[in-house]
Amino acid sequence: MTRIYTPWRLIFVTLTLFVFVMPPAWLFLSSLKSQQEIFQWPPTIFPAQPTLQNFIDTVSRAKFLVFFRNSAVVSVLSAFLSVTISVMAGYALAKFRFKGDTLFFLLIMSSLMVPLQIVMIPVFLVLRDLNLLDTLAGIIIAPAATPTGVFLMRQYITNIPDSLLEAARLDGTPEWRILWRIIVPLAIPAIGTLLAFNLVWRWNDYLWPFLIISDQDKWTVQVALANTVGRFGINWPRLLSMSVLSVLPVLVMFTALQRMLMSGLMAGATKE
Amino acid sequence: MTAVTLEDGRSALGPHPVPKGLRGSLASLGWPYLLMLPTMALLITFTLYPLVQGLFMAFFKRGVVVVPQVPSTLPQYIGLENFVGLLSNADFQNSLLKTVLFVVIAVPLNIVVSLALALLLSPQTKLFAVVRTIVFFPSMISLLIIGVAWRWLFGLNNGLVNYLLSLVGIAPVPWLEQDTMAQVAVVIAWVWAQAGFNMMIFIAGLTAISIDYYEAASIDGTSKWRQFTHITLPLLKPTLAVVLVLSSIEAFKVYELVVSLTGGGPGKATVYLIQTIYDTAFQKPMQAGVAAAQSMVLFIILLLLTIFQLRVSRGEK
Repeated sequence: MTRIYTPWRLIFVTLTLFVFVMPPAWLFLSSLKSQQEIFQWPPTIFPAQPTLQNFIDTVSRAKFLVFFRNSAVVSVLSAFLSVTISVMAGYALAKFRFKGDTLFFLLIMSSLMVPLQIVMIPVFLVLRDLNLLDTLAGIIIAPAATPTGVFLMRQYITNIPDSLLEAARLDGTPEWRILWRIIVPLAIPAIGTLLAFNLVWRWNDYLWPFLIISDQDKWTVQVALANTVGRFGINWPRLLSMSVLSVLPVLVMFTALQRMLMSGLMAGATKE
Repeated sequence: MTAVTLEDGRSALGPHPVPKGLRGSLASLGWPYLLMLPTMALLITFTLYPLVQGLFMAFFKRGVVVVPQVPSTLPQYIGLENFVGLLSNADFQNSLLKTVLFVVIAVPLNIVVSLALALLLSPQTKLFAVVRTIVFFPSMISLLIIGVAWRWLFGLNNGLVNYLLSLVGIAPVPWLEQDTMAQVAVVIAWVWAQAGFNMMIFIAGLTAISIDYYEAASIDGTSKWRQFTHITLPLLKPTLAVVLVLSSIEAFKVYELVVSLTGGGPGKATVYLIQTIYDTAFQKPMQAGVAAAQSMVLFIILLLLTIFQLRVSRGEK
């Protein structure tokens, strides 16, 4: 084996660290500076007098906590809904043979090719016809079915031995109990990964709420952020502190579930 | 895998044999359909039906909202006129051209950067695991916020990037104030955001290559570079194809990042396809059909990319 820690490699690793740590770190450090210090030239790297004033200003703005709550409600409910229906569909495709199963699978996979960006106008009309415009329910329900989720669950559930299911069926266990008491507990690792991913996706989502919501009381954090970035005269202290606050939940989750998220990605990427 | 004999005497081979007694009761016959129902209902309502509807819209002159009581809002069939119109639609052509240029520059750059990161950080040590996590983290942040972070870094008179450049004697760069530089800025921020995700896919591909090849090559005295071009790259081809297609599709959809980084500016320098489609549909009267035609063009591009990926991955197997 060749040596791993060669000087060149360490130099490049240091460079990599700088490039990837700097942008978020700079965002964070700047958000702790006073209004004057933020725009000071030459800039200070570390805030001379760290202050939470920007955060206090942002949070005390009447609506910010509402946006935060909307985002939280939407991501939690949508993630749970998405995982639930993905487990159901994944289980059906993994363990049952039924008329049209291949067609279902192909339809689900082909919807991978139809991102929201391509069908924005008709989706907008569908949402309007279903009275889902300007409702949080719209942002929760509309994006819940994901081909990725179904595919991940199908792959995982396929590996659960059939003998377990057959034994339960011989005992006369009702089908819904088999799903709930055998499949779900055994698929917990995959369910956890998918749930974590969904929470992050839905928290970060901008396009769906942007399309669905216009009433300010129903804005999510991302919509509020996009509206704070005007083309002229950005309120930087507010924007920086809002950005930091909106990344915070993702950072906490990522730190806690980092291994799960990264290995889940590998499984999804390599099993194709 | 054992074959299971069904009650009707047929035998079900294959990877998922039908469990015994499943077809016995009518109740369980409907069970798999019940399980499929929510996913299929949502996919049809919010993806597949809208796709068909969008295809129809592309052949009509209409606005977004149609009110049956108001005759002037009723859709008018105009055949291929919306598509023909795209040939002389300067806004659309500019943004298509800019998007293609963006894809052609950002995607290869992204592949080079993420492959380099993968090679650099693939050794399974604790230190590198931490660095990998840090590099991966941006792909968990919303693109809007990545746009905010880089807009702040790229500030003309107060940005950190220009400050660092000034330390080595380079005059302030108008990152977001000048057309070309703004496009460069979008590429940089986009690659920064995507690199960690693709690095992980590359690392998965790299670890699948047997170490034996490299050991044999080392014994033969083959140089590192030749090992890379003659062993790593050829064996990494399927992974490269996946990353190429995934990241091209991502790149064609570039939008959120631009919203917060440049707002499409300066002028219209960084208005890409998605923004053009949206603006056409929602900010101009009676142009929804045109926007639908634009969407179809993008759909065909994505379709071709996906078919290409399927071809390549099937060819490898």
